[in-house]
Amino acid sequence: MKQFQYVKASSNAGVITAISKPGTKIIAGGTNLVDLMKRGVTAPDRLVDITHLPLKSINITGKGLHIGALALNSVVAENALVVEKHPLLAMALKAGASPQLRNMATVGGNMMQRTRCTYFYDTAMPCNKRAPGTGCGAIGGINRMHAIFGTSSKCIAVHPSDMCVALAALDATVIIAGPKGQRTLQFTEFHRLPGEHPELDNHLATGEMILSVEIPDNNFAKNSYYLKVRDRQSYAFALVSVAAALDIQNGVIRGARLAMGGVAHKPWRLFEVEKSLIGKKPTEENFAQAAQLAMQGAKAYEYNAFKLKLAPATIAEALKHASGLV
Amino acid sequence: MEEAIKTAIPSSADGMSRIDGRAKVTGKAKYAAEYRPDGLAYGVLAGSTIAKGTVTAIDIARAEKAPGVLAVVTHFNSPKVPGHQKPKKPTKKAGPILVFNDNVIHYNGQPIAMVIADTYERALYAASLVKATYNKQAHDTKPPSDISMGIAPWGKDSVRGEADAWKNAPFKLEQEYVIPTEVHNPMELHAIIAKWDGADKLTVWDKTQGTQATRDDIAKAFNIPAANVQVIAKFVGGAFGSALQVWPHEIAAILGAKLVRRPVKLVLHRQDMFTSVGHRPYTWQKVGIGATADGKLVGITHEAVGQTSTYEDFAEGPINVSKGLYACPNVTTRYKLLSLNIGTPTWMRGPGEATGAFALESALDELSYQVKIDPVQLRLINYAKVDPENGKPYSSKYLDEAYKMGADQIGWENRRQEAGAVKKDGWLVGYGMGGGMFGAYRDSATVKAVMRADGTLLLQTAVTDIGPGTGTAMVLIAADIMGLPADKIKFEMGDSSLPNAPMQGGSATTATVGGAVYDACTELKQKFQKLIGNGGTDNPDYAKILSDKNLAGLDVTTQSSLGADAQNKYSMQAWSVHFTRVLVHPATGVVKIDKVVSVADSGKVISQKTARSQLIGGAIGGIGMALMEDAIIDHRYGRYVNNNFADYHVPVNADIPQMEALFVNKPDSHINAMGAKGMAEISLIGMAAAVANAVFNATGKRVRDLPITPDKLI
Amino acid sequence: MENEKFGMDARQQTDLKDPSRRSFIKQSSLLTAVALTPATALKAAEDHLDEQIAGVLEKLPLRMEVNGEMHNLSVEPRATLLDILREEMDLTGTKKGCDHGQCGACTVHVDGQRVNSCLTLGIMVNGKKVTTIEGLAKGDVLHPMQEAFLKHDGFQCGYCTPGQIMSAVACINEGHANSEGEIREYMSGNICRCGAYPNIVNAIMDVKNGGMEA
Repeated sequence: MKQFQYVKASSNAGVITAISKPGTKIIAGGTNLVDLMKRGVTAPDRLVDITHLPLKSINITGKGLHIGALALNSVVAENALVVEKHPLLAMALKAGASPQLRNMATVGGNMMQRTRCTYFYDTAMPCNKRAPGTGCGAIGGINRMHAIFGTSSKCIAVHPSDMCVALAALDATVIIAGPKGQRTLQFTEFHRLPGEHPELDNHLATGEMILSVEIPDNNFAKNSYYLKVRDRQSYAFALVSVAAALDIQNGVIRGARLAMGGVAHKPWRLFEVEKSLIGKKPTEENFAQAAQLAMQGAKAYEYNAFKLKLAPATIAEALKHASGLV
Repeated sequence: MEEAIKTAIPSSADGMSRIDGRAKVTGKAKYAAEYRPDGLAYGVLAGSTIAKGTVTAIDIARAEKAPGVLAVVTHFNSPKVPGHQKPKKPTKKAGPILVFNDNVIHYNGQPIAMVIADTYERALYAASLVKATYNKQAHDTKPPSDISMGIAPWGKDSVRGEADAWKNAPFKLEQEYVIPTEVHNPMELHAIIAKWDGADKLTVWDKTQGTQATRDDIAKAFNIPAANVQVIAKFVGGAFGSALQVWPHEIAAILGAKLVRRPVKLVLHRQDMFTSVGHRPYTWQKVGIGATADGKLVGITHEAVGQTSTYEDFAEGPINVSKGLYACPNVTTRYKLLSLNIGTPTWMRGPGEATGAFALESALDELSYQVKIDPVQLRLINYAKVDPENGKPYSSKYLDEAYKMGADQIGWENRRQEAGAVKKDGWLVGYGMGGGMFGAYRDSATVKAVMRADGTLLLQTAVTDIGPGTGTAMVLIAADIMGLPADKIKFEMGDSSLPNAPMQGGSATTATVGGAVYDACTELKQKFQKLIGNGGTDNPDYAKILSDKNLAGLDVTTQSSLGADAQNKYSMQAWSVHFTRVLVHPATGVVKIDKVVSVADSGKVISQKTARSQLIGGAIGGIGMALMEDAIIDHRYGRYVNNNFADYHVPVNADIPQMEALFVNKPDSHINAMGAKGMAEISLIGMAAAVANAVFNATGKRVRDLPITPDKLI
Repeated sequence: MENEKFGMDARQQTDLKDPSRRSFIKQSSLLTAVALTPATALKAAEDHLDEQIAGVLEKLPLRMEVNGEMHNLSVEPRATLLDILREEMDLTGTKKGCDHGQCGACTVHVDGQRVNSCLTLGIMVNGKKVTTIEGLAKGDVLHPMQEAFLKHDGFQCGYCTPGQIMSAVACINEGHANSEGEIREYMSGNICRCGAYPNIVNAIMDVKNGGMEA
């Protein structure tokens, strides 16, 4: 690892000034950044430690549930408000990483974590995300873990987070601070698709930092489920994961929220499937039918064609769990 | 030996706890990289990024200037390792990688440079500054896919009875089975600290399964007397075969220490564990098997092609199980190796027999559905009462009892012979079984037994313990003979300067070193009995005798091995059978192991607690083999893409249910006085088939290419 | 200035007189002026100049409590807590198994919470309390979890064991040891290649049922 300068910021403004300078990165939990630095994937000249800033709170505001960017994944997963109001988020968090890593990782850091694509991590391999212009190792390579939605000729990596899948499903917003002040972004608009610039993971501009996320109130607490299918029972990234939330009243679906992980460069929200479920009864047949709608535009590569089958199966299964059929 | 070995269902609390357990739970156990000789420097290797070709230049200028750097070693500037002579007669393959000897690249990740610096961080950073340029050649890393590929290491086919007789059987099948490359991946990274104590005198703390074999190899490489090399391996953090030989990084560290005139510590990175310390070779197999309507085997033809490196052949025994596991009159086996641009494979727990047992025991399961005979029954119908290869009687075999114990315990009667028939809470339920065998070896070992004035016994031998609990078993053997409580016995090991012992490998340690402990203690006790005269007593008061006779202590050094007679007369094998119950999710293809019963017929159990752990541990290795392990190379680059613990999956706690380990626990009176045989390999052999067969029973889907990941079941 | 807090040694005090360093601190006035990597060294690193220059001064003071004892160290910011424990402090009970947060062998407690020390920069533990396997027993009296691992043979080679035990203690303290299933899930961040998992679960259940004191 390259030697770097380590500084602490005394305020958000300090952070923004610091990260406006090239070569500077924020460090919080460090679970992904330190790993990337060890592998030489990134080599910042300066790290700004923000862990002492007052961005850890989890509380109710007029807009819903507010979760500070520095709230730890383990703390959010166990928080009474989260468990009561948005159990989907708690389930997704617990499906991610390991207890140790969740004790270190923050909400903001989880959002900022980079793909686990093996070609991205190995500096001896081509990767447009790590080194633009070098090509995509995964296209034509070992792409079993890779995306089937929203890919480009430059990159087929997936975003690895579980938490983000739940937040995308729950209509969360992201509060961002930057040199020009604060702004708010829909969570589903926070991460990017790779397009021509896979080196960019999200829509944060230079000098911007995440302050918090907010989840609006909803009626999904009773009927939500996070289903993660992976190669082992725990401590593994998703082959496919589904965050499913239903508002069921008198045996009829009044509202639905669905997002998938492990299939795209960003959490993949399933608006069409959600729409199709409204007014339907929560039955196995309806779920299976709706799940098929999710697959429009899916494109498989040499080793990940199984996801075309696994994804709808997982959606249907997650909906069964959410609705109490399982 | 422990008195009441539970043959029912031992629990994890039964039996004596490990003698070195306290050191392990307090963090005081010191592994290879955990010693601190004065002036310690740190070595970090840089590996090639091509799979075949030559290094044309290595830019070390920036690395050399980096803070704290003491040396940057490449083949351009490296002093030659004296013993690293190219073979005078050009043979087909040159043999193991001679580190920094020449510019030839044989595999991706081969060490091409080493940076030595005063701190680990500085060495690591400087190593990242080393830039090589290559003359790249077309590589081949693609593994074999049929028997026409490769060359036969042992020449002709082996044919017992009539060749390919299975084809004439009324019930028959022929299928291909694939085991991908697996990596030992012990939790401890391979590591060495090398310290020169003089121009021709060396101390190394090393991760090795054999202190003396390592000593001899190092002495040979550096052309110094073996007596001048001390290899210390007090604790070894797992190995499973990966530390059975000296690898290039060990030579590199020793070379580096000489160069910088300081002790050098070199710890491999996890990714190097995939390329540079061996692996279980990808092996393609085809099994043809045929039987009569009453289940009697007519013939087996077992073909296998394993991968090896371009510079060194590694051959193992995947086809052995087909020769020996069943009483089948006609067995044909063919084995070949295909040379690829990879690091040389090596023995990995169970070695080839585990690979072969997956194929044979899967094929037998497939046959059982054809002939409509219960898989356990089918095995009993073809039970070998004598070694089918040579007609010799077995020194002991109670595998039929093991079958029964396992079947009873798993609830085999709940299994349905048709696949996909049982469902529970939305999951498909399946039962499977698979077994195996492995040669019960006993090598030669020497043990020094010292009775000290205070009545405590010291046992010394150079053997290592990579985890099974060797010291604990040895203390139990000694306690039994000497009539001493275990806490009065100290077992000293893991040092090449102690009396001779072989490497810990091939399931031979308990039989070998245990045999020597038995003999040494017997001899020492007799010495005491002679001292007091009148034939002595069964329980001498050693301290009192020494004091009465005014002796500071009494010792014997005893060499012990298996008599030629026993070897000639008997076929010596250890046996296992694993039973599993699995749950498979019909929609997502997720497999959950619900219950496991493993049964070992490995003679008398010496140490109940550690034997149970070993059997369970091997079976868990088999679960990894069955469900997740697969080291993947991107053949375009000839480079591993999942060379880390996040992408190369081994089982985690959540994958493993309560596991039951049963022992037939009947002594083999021919192998050694204790009647104990090894069980490291059999613990794993057959387990992958037991899982695959259960998955078929649950789903009707036969997966013949491991691992059985969810995508293969939807 | 917070420099006093960190008890900077004389060498670093002197360094503050370096004009280029002062100007650096000035231009980053919005940052809390903690001990910084000297600008000369940084400049060298940035511009890929002679690396030897950067070697002169590149350490920061680190004050942390380890196993109840306060330590004042001087570390490179890139040094991980794991490497500091093992290489600087000779606390080798904490193990390196993967160095990338993928195995849990390096698990320690920081302010009572289990974390992967391989992904923790040492400097970020400044002012915190670290507990390693060496700090678990009280003298010769083993922690109940250590006793339980011994009794249930929760290991074979022993290499993952310190991490498993630190994780197991946290697992109970967190309230995640209410069933075998929950223990399995909450112990899945610690890989054991020897396959001692069932024994580890038994050990934790035993301690949990025996009412372990944290």
